[in-house]
Formats: sequence, C-alpha cells, structure tokens
Amino acid sequence: MTQTIQIHDHAHEADGDRLCMSRRQFLLSGGAVVTLTALPGLAQAQALKVGFNRQKIGKLSALKVGEPVAFNYPFADVRNILVKMGTPGGGGIGAGKDIVAFNQQCTHMGGPLDGTYKAQHQALGPCPLHLTTFDLTRHGMVISGHATESLPQIVLEVQGDDIYATGVMGLVYGHASNGKA
Amino acid sequence: MSKLWESKATPQLPEPVKAVNSVPLPPKNADVLTTACDYCTVACGYKVYRWPVGKDGGGKAGQNAMGVSFPHQNMNTASWASPAQHTIVSHKGKPHHVIVVPDKDATVVNPGGNHSIRGGTLAQKCFNPETRTRERLQHPMLRVNGKLTPVPWDLATDVMADISKYVIAKHGEHAWAIKMYSYQYFENTYAITRLGMTSIGTPSIAPHDKCANTNDATGLDDAGIDSFAASYQDWADCEVAFLSGVDPYETKTTLFTSWMMPGDKKFIFVTPHKTMGVAWAVSQGRGMWLPIIPGTDTVLHNAIARIIIENGWQDQEFIDKWIANQWEVDQGYGRGTRNTGWQWRTTWGNWQSDWADYQKFILGAEESKLDVAAKMTGLDAADIRKAAEWIAKPVNGKRPKASFMLEKGNYWTNNYMNTTSFVSMGLICGAGNRPGRVISRGGGHQRGMVSAGGGSGWLNPEKYPGRRKKDFNLDRWVMDGQVKFAWVFGTTWIAAMMGSQTLATKMLEQTRGNANQITSLDRAAIFEVLKKRVDSGGMVLVDSDIYPVEPINTDIADIVLPAATWGEENFTRCNSERRLRLYSKFYDAPGEAKPDWWAVQQFARKMGFDADGSYNWKDSNDVFEEAARFSRGGVLNYHPLVMEAKKKGVKAQEFLRTYGTTGIQTPIRVRDGKLVGTVRLHDPTNNWGEMEQAEVQSPFMYAFNTHSGKAILLKSPWKFGGWIQYYDAIKPRAEKGEIWVTNGRVNETWQSAFDDMRKAHLHQRWPWPPIFIHPNDAKPKGIESGDLVKVHNDTVYIQTGQPTGVKDPDLFFNNLMKEGHIQTTEGSFTAVAIVSDEMRPGVAMASFNFPGAPANAVVSAVPDPVTNNYRYKLGRGTLTKVGESPFKHNFTAMSLKPRPIV
Repeated sequence: MTQTIQIHDHAHEADGDRLCMSRRQFLLSGGAVVTLTALPGLAQAQALKVGFNRQKIGKLSALKVGEPVAFNYPFADVRNILVKMGTPGGGGIGAGKDIVAFNQQCTHMGGPLDGTYKAQHQALGPCPLHLTTFDLTRHGMVISGHATESLPQIVLEVQGDDIYATGVMGLVYGHASNGKA
Repeated sequence: MSKLWESKATPQLPEPVKAVNSVPLPPKNADVLTTACDYCTVACGYKVYRWPVGKDGGGKAGQNAMGVSFPHQNMNTASWASPAQHTIVSHKGKPHHVIVVPDKDATVVNPGGNHSIRGGTLAQKCFNPETRTRERLQHPMLRVNGKLTPVPWDLATDVMADISKYVIAKHGEHAWAIKMYSYQYFENTYAITRLGMTSIGTPSIAPHDKCANTNDATGLDDAGIDSFAASYQDWADCEVAFLSGVDPYETKTTLFTSWMMPGDKKFIFVTPHKTMGVAWAVSQGRGMWLPIIPGTDTVLHNAIARIIIENGWQDQEFIDKWIANQWEVDQGYGRGTRNTGWQWRTTWGNWQSDWADYQKFILGAEESKLDVAAKMTGLDAADIRKAAEWIAKPVNGKRPKASFMLEKGNYWTNNYMNTTSFVSMGLICGAGNRPGRVISRGGGHQRGMVSAGGGSGWLNPEKYPGRRKKDFNLDRWVMDGQVKFAWVFGTTWIAAMMGSQTLATKMLEQTRGNANQITSLDRAAIFEVLKKRVDSGGMVLVDSDIYPVEPINTDIADIVLPAATWGEENFTRCNSERRLRLYSKFYDAPGEAKPDWWAVQQFARKMGFDADGSYNWKDSNDVFEEAARFSRGGVLNYHPLVMEAKKKGVKAQEFLRTYGTTGIQTPIRVRDGKLVGTVRLHDPTNNWGEMEQAEVQSPFMYAFNTHSGKAILLKSPWKFGGWIQYYDAIKPRAEKGEIWVTNGRVNETWQSAFDDMRKAHLHQRWPWPPIFIHPNDAKPKGIESGDLVKVHNDTVYIQTGQPTGVKDPDLFFNNLMKEGHIQTTEGSFTAVAIVSDEMRPGVAMASFNFPGAPANAVVSAVPDPVTNNYRYKLGRGTLTKVGESPFKHNFTAMSLKPRPIV
C-alpha cells in the first residue's frame, strides 16, 4: 500500500459577503497569524476579519493550561470559551499554537457545553443532551455523537499580550446567519 | 488461484471542510413533504422544505415555513437548520433549495425532532453536482474493451435478457443468481423477488448480509419470538436493559437517546468495546460494562441462568403459563412434528427442552458454574452475579422489569447458541410478550422486504443431516464456479461477506479473467462473446447501484445500472418497531437513474415474463399495492391499508402520505372500521377474536410463534461440535502473536460509507476506517494513534463444495476439513490505529465494510452448520505498524481521540 500525503494549493476563495474566512483559508493562513503576532499592524488584521467585529477577549499571560475562560462573541448572547490546551491545535495561536476558542452551544440541538472541557483530551463535551463530544485540536470536529456541524471556531489574533476574536468559522446554533442579530 | 485481490484505495487527506456561516430559510409557501431517514433501523421522521432558488424566506416566524424566528435559543427541538441540512437539487428540471430537517412535530420515533449525525446530514446525500454526489452513476454502462461505456437502457437490458435466456436453458435456473438488499423499500424488494423467485424460480438468491437466505437471530425464531416484536415504548418502559453485542447509542441513536436515556433505567452492556453509550451509563451509576471475550456469550447466559435458578429468582408464574411443556414442544397442527425450520435444523435433539429439563441442563453444565464461566468469558464473577441480580432478583417482592436486546455482537459470533441461550435467559425472567418486558433485536437495517415468494430451496444440493432442506449458500456457489449470471442490487456483496479477498479474486477470475470479453456495442456480437464466457467457466455480472463501488462494479461487473434512490421516488417500508411510512419523492433522480423496480420491469418484459399481464406497473404505487397481498399473514402486513385506500378511491401511497411521519405500525388491523396498528407482537391483549374484514388471524399476534403458542426453552451445550470445533480452529493463536480482530460500525458512518464519504462533514471525520487497539496490544508493536496498521491472518478458512449431511457431525468443522471441504487461504487489511483503553485487551475492533479496508478479509467463511449463517465478528490477526497515516499529524481530518469521553 502506498501512502499519499496531499499537498494543498494555496488558492484563497471568495466567500460571499459575510465572514468569509473559510476553514480552508484559515488553515492556509496559519502562517499569516504568526506573522501578525510578530508584526502587529492594522492593515493585515483587517484583511482577516471581514464582516466581524474585532473584540479583545483575553491576555496570553493570563491563560493557564487546561483552564478555559468564557467570553461572548460575536453577539452578546453567544457564549464561547478560550482555552490554552497545552498541545497544538488547528487555528491555535500563541507560541505553542495551542490557544483556541470555540462556541459553547452544541451544533446538534443546542445543548449547553459550558463547563464540559476535558483537559486530558482537549475535548468539549459530552453534551448533556445527547453526548456529542468535539475535538478542539481539530477545528471542533465531532469525536463521537450527533452534531451535524463541527463546533464553530472563533478566529483569534494576537497583538502583544492581547488576544482578539476576529471572526467565526461555522454557523452558531439557532442562527440562520452569524451576521444578523 | 491467482494473487489475492487488494483494494487500490489509499488513505488520503480530504479537502478541508469549508465553514459556512449562513443557511437559507424556506419561504412561507415552500413545499413541505414528509419522509423518514434512509439509514438505520430506527428511521426518524423528517420534513423536507423545498422552494425555488431565489425565493428565500425571512428570519421572522411569519416570514418562513418553519414558523420560527431566528436567532433563537430553543434547545432540544429541531427548529434550526444546520448548513449540512441544506442543499440545492433539481425538481422538475429547475433548481430548488431543500432543507431536510428532523420533524420537530414528531410524536413517535424521534419526538421533538431528535436525530443522529447520519440522518441529520441527509440533505448532503442528495445529488448536487457542486458536491461529491456528482460521482453518482447516471447512465447504464457496458464494459467494452475493459472500460465501462455508457449505453442506452434498452441495449443493456437486451444484452442481459439474451444471455439470461441462454444460461437458464443451458445451465439451469440455479446458475442465474441474485444478490440483493433485503431492506431498500417494499417496491424494489417485491419486484426483485418476483423476478428471481416467481418468474425465474432460482434458488440462488442471497440477501446483502448473509451468504444464504436464512435466519438472523435464529434462536429467537426457534423459541417462538419474532425478532422485531418490541416497540420503542417497551425499551422506555423497562427498568433494566440487558444489551448483548450492541450499544444502541452507536447504532440506533434515537432509540437510545429519546427512549432509553431519560429516567433511571439500568443498563448491562455485553461487548468488548466500551463505546459512548456504555461509558455514559457507567459514569451515571446506571450501567455495567461486561467486556466479554468474543464468542463466549453462551457461557455468560447460562451462568446467569444458573444463578437465577439456584436463587429461585425466575418468573415462575410466567413460566407456568407461557413455556411449552414436553408435549407442547413437539406439538404440530397435523403437519407432523418434523415439518418446521426448527426441526430441520435441530434434528439431533440437543436443544429443545421444557422447564424441568432446562433446569437440569443448566445445573448440570460445568460451564455454567460461576467461577468456570468467569474464566471462560474473561469477566469478573462478581459482575456476572450482579448482572443476574439486576435482571431477576425481586426487590421487596417485586420483580425488576427487564428487557433483552441483542444485535450482531451476539448473533454474529455464535449464531445459533448465543441466541438460544439468550432467549432462554430472557424467558425465565418473564420477558417476551409484555409491556417493558420484551426480547428483541435492536435492528440493523430497516424492514423493507416484501417477498413475492416461490422459493426454490429444494434445488439446493446441500442438505441438513437427515437430508432436510437447507438454504442456498450463494458465496459457495460462486466459489464453485456454478453461477453463470448474477444480478447484484445495491450491496457491496464482497466486502460484506467473509474471506472477502478470496471471494473478490474468484469473481474477478470468472469475469475479467475470462478470455471472452466484450469488444463492441453490437448486440449479436456481445451475445456470442458472453455465451463463450459462460460455457468456459465464466460468469456475467450486472450491478445496480447509485455509486461506483470497489470492486463489484468498478472492477468486476460487465453491466452497471444506475439506480434512483431515497428522495428520488416514492417508496415505503417499516422501521424496527414495524412502523410503516411513505418516503416521499422530492427531487429528480440524476441522469438516467431509475428505481430498481423499473429496471426489473424492463428486463422482465424482455424475458417475456409479462405475457400473463405481470410487471404492468405504471408507477411505484402500483408495485406497493400489488405487493400488499404478499405481506398478508406476516409481521409487515399492510394489506388492510391498501383495501381502505381502494375504498376511498385514492392511491395507497397517497393514503399513507396522510399518516405523515407517524405512519402506522404493522401488522395493520381493522377495528370499528378504522385501521389500527400493532404495538407489540405475542401480547395476549392483541387477541380480538373475530376479524372484521378480510384479514388473516395470526396467532403470533397474541401468542408465541410456535405450534402451541407457548415459547420453547432451548438448551445450549457449549461443547456442541458444530460450534466448538470451529471456535477452536479460528481462535487467535498465541504462538503467532495474534489477537481477536472483531468488526463493527462506528456511529458516524453508515454501512459502507457510500453516502458518508461524499458528505464533507462526515468524510473529514472518518476519511479511512479505524482500528481500536488497547495500549497493551499496541505498545509492544510500537503502534500509536494515527499509525497505519496492517492486520494479517495467515489462516482463513473457506468452506467449499456442497456437502450433504447424513449424520450429526458430518457438517461440523473437523469432518469438513477431513473430507476436503475446507480451503485454507489468507487475508489482510490496513486501518488507522486509535490506541485506547476503551477496548478489552486482546481484542481489536475494526470498521466493517469500509471501502479500502475490508475487515472481513481476516474472518473465515465457514457458516454455522445449524443456521447456515456466518460468524462475522470472529476475526483474528497479527498487527504490524506499516507507517504513519496522513492523519497522524494534521488538524483537519480524522480525530484520533478515544470515543468514550465522559
């Protein structure tokens, strides 16, 4: 058996008028995020946040491994967690690429995932309703269970010691569009 | 035989899934149709909203057909459409949005719109050239010069009829075979069996999951219990659920999450794999995990029965009333005592029993002693005792209400004895015919078989001892080169059967390996070539499916026919509580794809089978109505519904449509002029005396399905040669470093992943099949999660020839080996390791029937001599790390986390 590793092209795709950073683009721009931390600059930051507000949500120096911090974004009633996992993850920021943020409402039937972070597995869940678990190292992919979408991931940027939320990848439960209130 | 066939597929990183941040809403005037899920046996109810592109509804409740304002925080009700529940399809040639969402108004099956990840992504199954569904088969194809070439339906069916007539005339009807699904809608199964069984009369027919048209949970049948006797309400009402070889959370999602999780029910899981349902129940203090050594369930059941008997915990009142005595066991209705499937199978008298004899057997068996059983099953004696207490020990004089569910981990390891011992254990606890006290299968596929009948099993050269009729083993018939023409309907065939690499190799030899290959589109020339093919030991193979399937249609088939499926035609079938519903057509089938009943009709006409007016169907409703009378007398009887529709002057499918996602449970009866469904089989309260209309009075409705109406207790002697000789031969061999390699389905994948690998969300989850390995087995081999692991079994046994049994042991493994009826071959597959203590040490679990890694390759193809069914789960092999998979160090595909995180 031969083993093939796919190389992705680096084409960026236009993505409608809303968020606009596809998960794919996000992955590909992982390097750009690192660049941003090194070279804070408004121009580059804006290029990454079309359609969403930029909101300061925490400080690198305040995060402890395995201890999530709650914040609301992109709307006042949308609950998320910011967590330093201690192991790298897709879209992770910080020196260890291990700081990620995710929405806390299960994409199956809206169950609350608040307080379910499992540090040992870098997972969120199980959802109290139907036991879905999500892998925070892999963009919120379902580990086991019934959500029909990955958990929406909050796009993060670092500026100095500050952590900013700049977008959402995926549709938040109960919404028809992340842009409309 | 040439070098063994190997899959050409390799593990590849899928395209990362594009995050979608909005979903269009249906306008107020959107079309709304009901349907049910296409996948697991539970069949949740769904609604389809359909509207023309460019006419979206708004976010306020008054502006959309869902009647919901967005955004909202409504938890646990299906009032949100996720992006995966939306797609764009063609309807009457015009692009339409569709949203396929669980029915939030459902009151049965999936109340409130609960759903699984499989059904929840049904929209992504619909043909849309923007997605990987573009891979759908769209035109009939003929393999010309080795390449599948589009041809008209007419030529394809002409070619099929030409060679079929020749094969039947020259080689006999048994050389003309069908391999078919048993579940993909009444209309199709009726048409296919009408063709195969009634018109052609071939015995060479096997369903998707078996080598022969035989029983599943055979011990239940022989005890007198229908495998689908229970209703979901029974699984809700029981206080203790004994779950054998199944975690319903993984495979029957909403049955577990809607009906079993709520409340304080206790769960006993017997399975070597601690999946999410198991881990959750244990974490709640409501569950026990019995990680059994594969194949030893019979010992566990008998040990539990012994504890119950020794303590007098049995339900004596039930036993006295409902268990057949010595004379009732042999009772017949003037048909003689030997004229049932049970008697054919069990002529040698090891099994049948009554209460006194059963006690004597249990108390006298060495293996039923607790300490002996604990050692043989690999379980803690204390756990076995606790399980017995949970299901049978009265508390304050009150018996626990226990129900018993089994699935393939049970009856696909030791087909007959695991089911006979299981059903006896349940019966002495008083289960089998009362609310919350049932014995049933959990179910795999839905119940979509209406057989036109006319089986020709008597043509089978293979016989049970005593020369009694035995169902045809189609795999063996192929391996023996006896099949000249085969038509496969919607099943992988090969990867689903045992010794799969060897079967594929043989089928390739008989088709592509034959010197006579089609080289033109000239009908007469094709006929000449195919005649030479079948006369020189070859076979012609036709495959009807919706996608390319390796290797059955990509490599083997001469003719490939494109099928129209769920959503593309009006179809009907029942779920595992016998609930009948209409699965509405809501969009155009791609290209020239047609439902299988239509393909059968075209072929039958060219065979001249329509001369008597048969096959004269204008639409699928015609087939549904015609098939109704063949359902009479069975558990899926919907004949009264068709009679009622005729009375009303409406099409029967349209009448069923008015029942929406609620449907009606079969067998359907009539009372006070109204159609009434049946909640539970065998329940004495179903006895209504005289029937009102042209209905069949079926005793199985209100009594057990035996001659006496009483259930038969069956003994299960562990040392029975038909079992123990095989078990000893196929167990992992320590000297070779082998472990058990069992197989099953993970929650997020439906069967062969035919749809899932084309659903972006599910394909990134499982781009390649996993193998779950305990750290104790992985570490010494240097295997880590994400590594590619080759599983190899250098001794896979395949039964050959058509042995006829005369004396008891003639068809047991040792004698078959001695007589030269066992071929020894090998098998291997490569999967991605997930190293986790969720497995019992010494047992690895692979994903069955996943393209590219057929785990059945390492399982022997020697059927249970009693039931003629394979022991699918008993694979073995050595594990070798062959490298790192592309998924080991990536962030986009295949989570490698353990499944049970609680």
